Amino acid sequence: MAQAEQITETEASSRKSKPLNHSIAATTEFLRLLFGQLQSGLGAVIVLLFLLLAVLGPIIAPYAANDQSALPLLAPGAGHPFGTDALGRDVFSRVMLGTQSIFVTAGTGTLIAVVLGAAVGLFIGYQGGLLDEVISRAIDAFLALPALLIALVVLGVVKNLDFVAGSWQALLADSSVLLVIALVYVPIVARVIRSSTLEVKTREFVQAAQIRGESRVYIIFREILPSVVPALVVEASLRFSYAIFLVASLGFLGAGARPPSPDWGLMVNENRRIYQVAPWALAYPAAAIALLVVGVNLTSDGIKRIVQKRG
Amino acid sequence: MGRFLLRRLAFFVFTLIFTSLLVFVLTRVLPGDVARIILGREAGEDQVAALRVELGLDQPLVIQYLDWVGDFARGDWGKTFVSPRQDIREIVLQRAEKSGWLALVTLVMAVPISITLGVIAGLREGKFLDSLISLLSLSVVSLPEFVTGLFLINIVARNSDFFPASSSGIGPGTTFMEALPKLWLPAITATLVLIAYIARLTRAGVIEELKRDYVRTAVLKGLPYRVVVIKHVLRNALIPTITVIANSTGWLISGLVVIEFVYGYRGLGSLLIAAIENRNLPQIQAIVMVTVSVILVANFLADMLYSILNPRITLS
Amino acid sequence: MNETVLRVENLGISYRMRNRWLPAVRDFQVRVRRGQIHGIVGESGSGKSTVVQGIIRYLAENGRTDPGSVIEFLGRDLANASRQELQKLWGAQVSIVPQHPMSALNPSIRVGEQVAEIVRLHAGLGRAAAREAVIRAFQRVNLADPETLLERYPHELSGGMQQRIVIAMALITSPQLLILDEPTTNLDVTTEAVILDLVRKLIREEQAAAIYVTHNLGVIAQLCDRVTVMYAGEIMEEGTVNDLFARPLHPYTFGLLNSIPRPGQTKRDRALITIPGRPPSLTELPQGCVYAPRCPLAIEICRQPPPLELPAERHLIRCHRWQEILRGEVSISAEAQAGVDDIAIADLQREHLLTVSGLTKHFPVRRSLFDLLRGTSPLPIRAVDNVNLSVQKGRTLGLVGESGSGKTTLSRMIIGLTERTGGEITFMGLDIRNHVRERSKDVLARLQMIFQNPQNSLNPYLTVGQSIRRPLMKLLGMSRQDADREVSRLLRAVNLQPDYAVRYPDELSGGEKQRVAIARAFASDPALIICDEPVSSLDVSVQAAVLNLLARLQEEQDTAYLFISHDLSVVSYLADYVAVMYLGEIFEVGYGRDLFEPPMHPYTEALVSALPVPDPRRRTRPIPLSDDIPSPRNLPTGCRFHTRCPHKIGRICEDEVPPWRDEGNGHFIRCHIPLDELQAKQQAYAQPAAETAWGLMGKEQG
Repeated sequence: MAQAEQITETEASSRKSKPLNHSIAATTEFLRLLFGQLQSGLGAVIVLLFLLLAVLGPIIAPYAANDQSALPLLAPGAGHPFGTDALGRDVFSRVMLGTQSIFVTAGTGTLIAVVLGAAVGLFIGYQGGLLDEVISRAIDAFLALPALLIALVVLGVVKNLDFVAGSWQALLADSSVLLVIALVYVPIVARVIRSSTLEVKTREFVQAAQIRGESRVYIIFREILPSVVPALVVEASLRFSYAIFLVASLGFLGAGARPPSPDWGLMVNENRRIYQVAPWALAYPAAAIALLVVGVNLTSDGIKRIVQKRG
Repeated sequence: MGRFLLRRLAFFVFTLIFTSLLVFVLTRVLPGDVARIILGREAGEDQVAALRVELGLDQPLVIQYLDWVGDFARGDWGKTFVSPRQDIREIVLQRAEKSGWLALVTLVMAVPISITLGVIAGLREGKFLDSLISLLSLSVVSLPEFVTGLFLINIVARNSDFFPASSSGIGPGTTFMEALPKLWLPAITATLVLIAYIARLTRAGVIEELKRDYVRTAVLKGLPYRVVVIKHVLRNALIPTITVIANSTGWLISGLVVIEFVYGYRGLGSLLIAAIENRNLPQIQAIVMVTVSVILVANFLADMLYSILNPRITLS
Repeated sequence: MNETVLRVENLGISYRMRNRWLPAVRDFQVRVRRGQIHGIVGESGSGKSTVVQGIIRYLAENGRTDPGSVIEFLGRDLANASRQELQKLWGAQVSIVPQHPMSALNPSIRVGEQVAEIVRLHAGLGRAAAREAVIRAFQRVNLADPETLLERYPHELSGGMQQRIVIAMALITSPQLLILDEPTTNLDVTTEAVILDLVRKLIREEQAAAIYVTHNLGVIAQLCDRVTVMYAGEIMEEGTVNDLFARPLHPYTFGLLNSIPRPGQTKRDRALITIPGRPPSLTELPQGCVYAPRCPLAIEICRQPPPLELPAERHLIRCHRWQEILRGEVSISAEAQAGVDDIAIADLQREHLLTVSGLTKHFPVRRSLFDLLRGTSPLPIRAVDNVNLSVQKGRTLGLVGESGSGKTTLSRMIIGLTERTGGEITFMGLDIRNHVRERSKDVLARLQMIFQNPQNSLNPYLTVGQSIRRPLMKLLGMSRQDADREVSRLLRAVNLQPDYAVRYPDELSGGEKQRVAIARAFASDPALIICDEPVSSLDVSVQAAVLNLLARLQEEQDTAYLFISHDLSVVSYLADYVAVMYLGEIFEVGYGRDLFEPPMHPYTEALVSALPVPDPRRRTRPIPLSDDIPSPRNLPTGCRFHTRCPHKIGRICEDEVPPWRDEGNGHFIRCHIPLDELQAKQQAYAQPAAETAWGLMGKEQG
């Protein structure tokens, strides 16, 4: 009977690979697709340039953020490429230094939201039952509130609390914007990851793991997580763009960073009254916000397209 | 349909309770000494003690919560703390009306334009017109409202007599028609953001529907392209758009907070910022509760409309 | 001779991919006459659907019919027709019945309107006249109560009804050319049979020319006059169904015909013929004959592309060696592979490995707010009710039933993925815990499962080696080195090279994935493997290899199977003993062949009669069953089959649960009708014994 089945050497496809090469190849392919498209490539270049600026800003910025040594309201020119503001601070340096703060705040906030949200989403999605029902409804209810509103209220309250300097509460209060970003985005990430988890959970390889008695943790992290990662990457990039948007808006409304920090949103607010005399002091930080958000959105759109195409 | 709407109604009630708890925790429990926060550091001890009693802060938390919810439901939203002490309900509702005007003008402008753009982009997927609309909407959606707002104020308003740059001067007694000229610019700002949001989702809906098998069936019936699109595709693509528009209410409200601040428009958003500035906790509570109710009512209405228009829900 | 409606010559269809035109279909031709049903058969990727899309000029945006293609429809040139001309033809003279009726209908338009708009457009009827026309069309496709139906939305109708609507839609303008693209693929076999019968009758009445596209040779044999066999975008062979099924000249046709088990054939009769390898992708087509890499008869000349030849009047073949095959000089021997050793099958002494008694699963239905207000709770869904069965060591118990029969729920309760509501499961003498999480390692190792969908049964992010190694280390406690050695052995056992261990599932074909899944199930040395539709998503040529593999592994390892399938032929081929399930209950059990010969349970009888037998000389009329299967939330009283039973004898069927009747040889039927009466009623329909129809190729070519 054995000859009825033939050794399937001919089935061998031309693509052979080692496990390690597989992930490298996948990453290379991903980058090729991302940079291969005009829009997403452009977006990724913008984001990378800002990232570079965030890292190098403190080293290469010609002035300190609050160095008021120059004349106020200088028009852009030699020495001050973006001019100076009403206090004689170098706008170019402040925009550069602000890059770092926005990346740290929005980036870390997003990272926390993504990690926590993914953990919650994976767990309730896999577990199901009453716990899932309760948490999911709470998430839905939370998401009925606009993120900006929650952020404003929380920050407004925290701002008025007195903490002993150096205490852990004070440390938390100092990173309140970052924590608020995490707080408002955890539920959204959790909901997205939960629904991907529900989909992956029904696949037969998960059942195969269950019938060999794998633990919950093993199944969630080893079997389900890898399949959820693409959705997570898309969501993370999207959240990052919203986070930048939110940090800037909070700064502008005076609920985020406090003067004199070189926060882009705050700079726009501080300088909007002097627009007639020094439009540059307003225009450059505003342009920086817009450009970065456009860059992140273009990249995010590209990532989404690639991930969806792969199905 | 009844079952579907009952579920949504249950969610409505649940969310209101959830939000009230959240607001309560944020504004009463978290801050520590609420009376001290409200009155500020300079206030005298006796003043603080008096306020504690007025707010019922000496009661257990559960009682405090129930009292607050009960009062709120009965329409007693408290009074402001700085003299002259005003009825919070009166202020909030008056401001909410002003925000409502702005939202109305915005929606009237945004919905038809954004749906048209979204449908055009979806039908022309991958073509030049789609790329143009998509890129523009992506850029607009990326611009914070204060950036577009300041741009419009400083470029458009200063160079034209038609649009006033500031919306201040709209008070409690102003009528809608009197206010209308001052509404254009803030409404355009909000519209830009909303257009981008709704158009992008409409486009996605149209593209998704175009891929469905029934479109092939319709084309192979020999129907003209126009009929295929209008009768078969749009019917299915636009039903979810109702939900999209309802969901954009939250988006619109966040936008309005910033826009009102930029234009000095005396609506609910600027009131919220002022309340936060003045540590007026009861007023913050009232504003958040009103906002959430508006969002939930919008969503509920959309659900109802959706279940009427979508046969898959109506009859199952 | 009838008028030619459609003439296609030299048809090529290409798709543009990354700035290259990939030839999806090459050198296709067909001629369809009035009143004729022409079948196009092929496996996935053969280009069969592309061909018909090309013929009606409805291709994806990146597709085109190549220059030089000739498509002539009633003397008109379709290949170069403008969009306006096509729009006039589509729906009026050329109609198509698509594959998935549910998605082919617009979900938010009433079905009446969806049909009426066609006649309003093409026949210029007014609203009232159109409505009348639709009612007549609905009546023609045997839809009950057409007036009410007009106002329904697609989601309110069953799959069979949706399919009838789509057929009514296609026929309402009396088209000259009708294209049916796998119209019954997702329907249950009893529904499929009724629809096929209807299609056959309507086409005869209409005297239209029809093209029927399918992967199912049985359907072709039952329905078509002529057939084209396609492979990798080319015609392999074309002829009348009688010629082609009786005397296939192409090795591929032969392989296809012999890779499916005939009704009543078992693994003891013979092994199935397999076709090794997999179809080429469009980007890497072989230089010569496209089939050569998989052809057992391929020789040097097959490196040259073979021409499409005309060996006889109206027969086409694309093979260098057809003359040798015709003269019987070479053949793919059908008899070289014997079946498995025939141990006395009624070996009652064999140890019972798994015994299930009274097994029941009722899914609770969530209480809605209405229920809460009324204080009622909804009736549960009774998916499986009081089922008893047992599996002997090293034997196969087959479980057959249509969708909704509860067979999958039953298997999931045994494996422990679904918690049972009631009943006992004893496995190797142990009382088995409800949920898989509560079971001991030993039970887990000895009770394994092979899943339906190879696309999903392997984790795409783990290599083949990692997937197979895990149960070895986890359940048998092997060291990494031992496990790796064992992985190689297991891969060889399922006929894969050991170097497959480092590959990822997306580099494997469907058949290869299923072999890996089999290796993984066998890794922990199980005594019983539950196979849930393991071949139903595979192409027939691959299906055969997997069935053979399962049979061989069982013989070598003395493993028992609980083999679940909706396909009666497949189940009875592999199984020693078969149980037939309907709406959560078992209605008949017997040895493979018992199920094909009277007496049979009326439901089994309907299933057997509905099987599309791949033999045009045995065209059978199916026993028509109504296609509204009762909902498991609201089950019929008495005998659950009484609502559809053609032999229903009266009130007793509605009121009383039928008794089990014993034929005395291990064959049991649960019916109110005594066995001898049942037998007498069924003799009229009796199918010829499997052997007489079997072995076409073997006998004729020696």
